[in-house]
Amino acid sequence: MSNLALPNASVAPVGAPTDTVPRSWIASVAFRTVGQVGARVGLVWIGVIAFCAVFSPLLTNSYPLLVKMNDQWSSPLARHMTAVDWTLLFMSAVGLVLLLFRSVPLLKRTLILLGLGAIMLTVLLVTLDPIRTKVYDEYRTYHRSGAVQWSLHVPIPYSPSDRLRDQFDASRPHPWAPSTDHWMGTDNNGSDILSNMIHGCRIAMSVGFISTGLALVIGIFVGAMMGYFAGVVDLVGMRLVEIFSAIPRLYLLLAFVAFYDRNIYIIMAIIGITGWVGDARFVRAEFLKLRNLDFVHAAIAAGLPLRSVLFRHILPNALAPLLVSASFGVASAILAESTLSFLGLGLIDEPSWGRLLDQARAGGGGFRWWLATFPGIAIFLTVLAYNLIGESLRDALDPKIISRH
Amino acid sequence: MLSYIIRRILLLFPTLIGITMLVFFVMALSPGSVTDSLQETEANMRPEERQRVEAYLQKRYGLGDPLIVQYGRWLNRMSPVGFKETDEGFPAGFGVGFKVPDLGESFIRRRPVLDVILEALPITLLLNLITIPIVYIIAITSGIWAARKRGQAFDVASGVTLLALYSMPEIWIGVLLLGVFASRDYFQFFPTSGTHDVLASQMAFLPSFLDGAFQRGWLLDMMWHLALPVLVLTYGSFAFLSKLMRASILENLTADYARTARAKGLAENVVLFRHVLSNSLLPLITVAASILPGLLGGAVIVESIFGLNGMGGLMLEAIKRKDQELILSQTFVVGLIGLGSLIIADICYAIADPRVSYE
Repeated sequence: MSNLALPNASVAPVGAPTDTVPRSWIASVAFRTVGQVGARVGLVWIGVIAFCAVFSPLLTNSYPLLVKMNDQWSSPLARHMTAVDWTLLFMSAVGLVLLLFRSVPLLKRTLILLGLGAIMLTVLLVTLDPIRTKVYDEYRTYHRSGAVQWSLHVPIPYSPSDRLRDQFDASRPHPWAPSTDHWMGTDNNGSDILSNMIHGCRIAMSVGFISTGLALVIGIFVGAMMGYFAGVVDLVGMRLVEIFSAIPRLYLLLAFVAFYDRNIYIIMAIIGITGWVGDARFVRAEFLKLRNLDFVHAAIAAGLPLRSVLFRHILPNALAPLLVSASFGVASAILAESTLSFLGLGLIDEPSWGRLLDQARAGGGGFRWWLATFPGIAIFLTVLAYNLIGESLRDALDPKIISRH
Repeated sequence: MLSYIIRRILLLFPTLIGITMLVFFVMALSPGSVTDSLQETEANMRPEERQRVEAYLQKRYGLGDPLIVQYGRWLNRMSPVGFKETDEGFPAGFGVGFKVPDLGESFIRRRPVLDVILEALPITLLLNLITIPIVYIIAITSGIWAARKRGQAFDVASGVTLLALYSMPEIWIGVLLLGVFASRDYFQFFPTSGTHDVLASQMAFLPSFLDGAFQRGWLLDMMWHLALPVLVLTYGSFAFLSKLMRASILENLTADYARTARAKGLAENVVLFRHVLSNSLLPLITVAASILPGLLGGAVIVESIFGLNGMGGLMLEAIKRKDQELILSQTFVVGLIGLGSLIIADICYAIADPRVSYE
């Protein structure tokens, strides 16, 4: 056993407190995970993506942040922010404040954050009157006519759907290669790539988490039923699993996309619905192992309802491998979304990494390297980040590796 | 063993029915249900043409009937065994017999779906048949090598590389390869689309020198056309398999039987290649089943990027032009192939590992 030296095994950082301090199991797994280089790299990159997702309207926007016109100050940017934009900013502020309350349990703090976010979103959706037609040229016209006395722009002064910006320069048709104006170039329609990339983070993050969450819920439910009841339920459930693993996932996604409307919720739902099979297998295997153990019999004998036996007593013992598969699941959900967008079957008129990548192929065998490189690297790094975290989690949970510390 | 195989094959039928139900109800429960998507496509066609389409849908699905009856009608036409059906109604009689499965008519090609699919299927299967052996050869070799050198530079390097390869999206690599090695802007080493040259039918099968000039021949021409697509299909799968192979060998190397073999004085190479290797191959058999559906899905991407007219290209065309019969049948056929591979892998596993029993 001792010669089994896995290279990517977790190594406790030097100087870190060892297990002399009693620590909960979850905390120790998290500690071992974060102790690995791979997980750290992954977490840093996901932090960058999450930052871009939350602050995207404040990072890239065609509207000026502050404008002084006719001796009056105004913020066109704030006026054009949507309910979701405001909610995300609000939630990140609340999240920072909640970090200070260390005495309140983490779960409670998360619930408070989510609850406040939900209330905020509902209130804003009702009260905020969204501006439906965006005229990006409005302030540029003012600017050219000299009406603007003073204005402040965000770092990248382009919105992803701002396409008419450079139309007066007809001598150079879009797409443009990267330049000092457009750091990552422009796409076929003339929108700025960097701004598309930053706004695309939001779709990548939300699709990744929500569809994986949905897949987990379905997977846990089906897997728990199969594993706990075994017998006929298992037989039927396994057929369901077989159906979904026989049809290639991409074909299923394509079939769904073909017949249903394409909005973000449907895309999330179908990626979730086609991704639960692995989770169900895991949960089933764990439940089959655990269902005859004493603590389960005790729970049943105590007269607990089935829901409690299944999800409060057995499930916590099976959560570990699920975390690993959820991490890989986020990676594959992001991949699925960008593949759909790449094939031209994703969201319509929303910034998405996959859609940018699609434009790299020019007609007649041309190639726009900037349209392939930047979105491609973004997808690759994000998928890699989740895979790295998944691997680190797996190592952190592996009893063979843990026992050597 | 035999009873296991028989039960496994019997369990195939509920799954098969399940696949047809999934495919049918995805379509039937959609907002447009059975008729909408077709009528949308054919909005600008002549009245007599539209009447023909409506009559066709009426006959095939029985539009006024409840969903489950529509499904029954559709299933009866799809299956090679079924009730006889006449224009008057369904079922017309109790005569059950074999027939050619009727997958409907493709409205974009104006031909039976079965013919269209049978044309596209060989290209996709060819891609996969070339890819699978390459994937397995590379995965097994590099897996063995990494396990032998565990903890050393090769192992660490290959572990990192494989994870990176595994994370690289096929859409990105495909576009990059096409853009760099088959474009007018950079290197024009490879053709941009198709499986053959226009003149391929006049070529000799093998490469030859004719009149002093080199003729690449049919086979080499095909390899030249398929090199990039196969490369894109290959790299992601072998990364995954190779990691699996390495883990499996490492596990077996520490097993009791390997220690026994060492104790009786066998050389490490003999232990590895004669005892450990065959046992380590077991997980690769089970995974083979999930590799094929993955490859079929990957083929969609590859075919769309490299302009091949296989199942994937056909599927995308069908979706963009809303050809419902083609979408349904293709999903069904691909599911059928996937199911076949699941069953074959299960049976192979049962044969390879005698410990497997049904319960």
